[in-house]
Amino acid sequence: MKNRLLDAGDVVINWARKYSLWPMFFGLSCCFVEKATALTSRYDMARFGAEVLRPSPRQADLLIVSGTVFKKIAPVVLRLYEQMPEPKWVISMGSCSNSGGMYDVYSVVQGVNQILPVDVYIPGCPPRPEAVLQGLVQLQEKIVSTEKPARKVFHLGGGTQGTVAPLLVDGHTKTRDSRGTGYQGMPLRGSSATPPHFFDNRSHLMWTPPARRIELTQGDQSLAAVMSGRFPGSVNQLPHTSDMMTFTVQENSLKDVLRFLKHEAEPRYRRLDDLTAVDESARSDEASFTMIYQLLSLDGPARIRLKVRLEGEEPVTKTITDLWPSANWYEREVYDMFGIRFDGHPHLRRILMPHNWQGFPLRKKYPGRATEMPPYTLEDAQREQPLDAAEFLSLGRRNEKDKDPFILNLGPHHVSTHGLLRCMASLDGEEITRLELDIGYHHRGVEKIGERQTWHQFIPYTDRVDYLAGAANNLSYVLAVEALADIRVPERAQVMRVLLSELFRLSNHLVYFATFAHDVGAMTPNFYTFAEREMILDVVELITGGRLHPSWFRLGGVAADLPDGWKEAVDAFVRIFPRRLREYENLITKNPIFKARTEGIGRLSLEEAIDWGVTGPNLRACGLEWDLRKKFPYSGYENFQFDVPTAAGGDCYARYLVRVEEMRQSLKIIEQAAASMPSGRYVTDDYRYAIPPREDMLTAIESLIHHFINVTRGPRIPRGEAYAATEVPRGEQGYYVVSEGLGHAYRMRIRGPGFANVQAMPLMARGESVADLIAIIGSLDYILPDIDR
Amino acid sequence: MQPISDGAMLSPWEPGIFSLVLFGLLVLAFIGFQLFIAHWVGEKKESREKSRVYESGVIPTGTARLPLPVPFYMVAIFFLLFDVEGVFIFAWAVVFRELGWTGWLQMAFFIIVLLVGLAYIWVKGGLDWRESHRSK
Repeated sequence: MKNRLLDAGDVVINWARKYSLWPMFFGLSCCFVEKATALTSRYDMARFGAEVLRPSPRQADLLIVSGTVFKKIAPVVLRLYEQMPEPKWVISMGSCSNSGGMYDVYSVVQGVNQILPVDVYIPGCPPRPEAVLQGLVQLQEKIVSTEKPARKVFHLGGGTQGTVAPLLVDGHTKTRDSRGTGYQGMPLRGSSATPPHFFDNRSHLMWTPPARRIELTQGDQSLAAVMSGRFPGSVNQLPHTSDMMTFTVQENSLKDVLRFLKHEAEPRYRRLDDLTAVDESARSDEASFTMIYQLLSLDGPARIRLKVRLEGEEPVTKTITDLWPSANWYEREVYDMFGIRFDGHPHLRRILMPHNWQGFPLRKKYPGRATEMPPYTLEDAQREQPLDAAEFLSLGRRNEKDKDPFILNLGPHHVSTHGLLRCMASLDGEEITRLELDIGYHHRGVEKIGERQTWHQFIPYTDRVDYLAGAANNLSYVLAVEALADIRVPERAQVMRVLLSELFRLSNHLVYFATFAHDVGAMTPNFYTFAEREMILDVVELITGGRLHPSWFRLGGVAADLPDGWKEAVDAFVRIFPRRLREYENLITKNPIFKARTEGIGRLSLEEAIDWGVTGPNLRACGLEWDLRKKFPYSGYENFQFDVPTAAGGDCYARYLVRVEEMRQSLKIIEQAAASMPSGRYVTDDYRYAIPPREDMLTAIESLIHHFINVTRGPRIPRGEAYAATEVPRGEQGYYVVSEGLGHAYRMRIRGPGFANVQAMPLMARGESVADLIAIIGSLDYILPDIDR
Repeated sequence: MQPISDGAMLSPWEPGIFSLVLFGLLVLAFIGFQLFIAHWVGEKKESREKSRVYESGVIPTGTARLPLPVPFYMVAIFFLLFDVEGVFIFAWAVVFRELGWTGWLQMAFFIIVLLVGLAYIWVKGGLDWRESHRSK
């Protein structure tokens, strides 16, 4: 009798639980976008009883680990899991969370099941929203078919509920080898071809034409003359470059040269575009590094690169934070990744890796793969804790007698931080007196991966650098390689690239619109704009076959020709969208609450924006008409009619206005691209670099050989370096590729717009109230993978 | 609107002590049952992490017992003050006709005093509770 009652109790309790799962609002990276999409109108996860994402673990019983589990965030993931009440379930969503996926890299845990029990795995990279729904249904089935909760609920001993799956241990119950079990002892393909270990690389046997050579402009030539006159002996102009004027500078005169370029040169180079380093040890005999300083002139427009050679195992050079405040984070990153110290830097410490990390990952000797390191275990996740917020805020405090501030910690897991960002504010009442940021929770080591994947293999990684900008990311990368190898892209491919990039700009801005409005309390747009975003993704899917990460651009073109029916799909969207946008604007643009929350909040002056390297819509919101599509036209943007919207004031509202207007301009570009799509090839016939289309590969032996080489060891890109930047939805994203004439890059540097934009956030937040911080975060539109890379 | 002065409109005061006690006991029992069910039913696993304060997934800094400046406290106090004064004005509105011009004059004086007080607070910056806004 008792057992029968309990069995009936099991059925009732399981039925109730099955339809009232409460997932936590928890996302790590790309996958979370698809998880959130599953909540919106088209997919409507509420139908399955998992209605609202709960912001706190206390209110949730389902943890969907959506995205890459980084070693820096793993302790947080574990804590959130432990802080959930009983019973609780775990779904691991996406390849990264399942096994590390394509990120077999030093900073990524190779599967969340090493630190948490997992009930259901959802495969995919990222899984579609439908896959999330299926995962949820599978969990429901698991609850109904295997759990006996009544005994647990009434404390009768026995029974099962919640997740009981065991933790997996590498080498015993799981293998981290992405090829599966049984391959122990066989080297992973690709790693042995990476310097400094590999000798007699077959790429050396191939011939390619030398790297592209550019003609310097009149302005560059006169500047070069002035510089060699002013700094005789200490600056040397490189004779051949593929992208911009480049000098090597003696270390001791670097600061004078930079000061000259910033304040006196004609034109003035007012922005520090990028600052990074290259470990030379694998291509030269002695241990040494090259510092790369890249400046940009807004008046020119022109770019210039300075290279400084540093000798020794632990080199030290002078900081330039007194010239450009934005150098602060860049120098910390160089220190973190290369171990180069900067004399006079205000607080030189790690920025991307955890504070107690050993070694400098971008050094050539450092192991690139997580599978070359010991597995990350539960004990690691319990031991390695993020630093206390007070330690960040006490750094640089003038005197210890300052009254004890009230410390507010926001993130890394927080609904309003839009990703794994940790903000620590010291407050006076509700007013922010100081804001410190901790980044690196999303460091995927993609620059290191770029040094081992072949030139073609790396393309999918670029998609994931800004996971809301999809194919637009590919463009910066392929442009850089094309600039270096002088690959000509057919006109049709160029317009197709523009079409895709602008579709993604729209889709990104629609997410921005919804989340920003949501951040300041207007929840409605979320449910509307995602409908149009789905329309865009349908078009993208029709053309490319993918949604978030199509990986569709190729060296020399795109992956495939446009399919039948693309024009109708694009036209239908172009017809519908303006009316919808007007509707959304009616909701928000003149909304008095929205204006009160955003107007005059988080101001950034134009001077500050330039000094801090702020780019994209955030820069244009300060009143400067600066858009790479106009200033350094690429991929044929010069053939399109569109305006560059700007706004005045540099506050949250201005940032919003710029983006709304950008949607209209993007639509104009899409319309023109669709109307004037040229005929011709979709990929270059220069098969030395491009992957030949299948028809050619199957019919011509030359193409077959090229195909074989380009997909296996990769095309040999000539020795040299090139930088290319594009205007992605968030700002200027640049790729600096250095080639040693191998099938993969020697150094792959990514300049993400978010890194500079977010570094300027404390400027905007100081003196504002806590609630305004959320508005500022929402208005900035950053994304973590491009900050942490 | 008719002033509510007629006592017949309110229900008569007829205390039934038995039904009150019974009702009270039922309420107490119901609440007790709910609290007991919520407390007893369900599995509980105590752990150090679970009993730790939730702070965006990191270990919180310091304790929650610390002096915290509450600058809008002045605004709150002023609100309370004027709110209470409002009670007098409502009461006056009810007997507006009975009091006539004398009452009007007295209340006008009262309201003017309040307004002067409000203006004084305003001018003194008592309503700007944020430091930076005061200095701007």
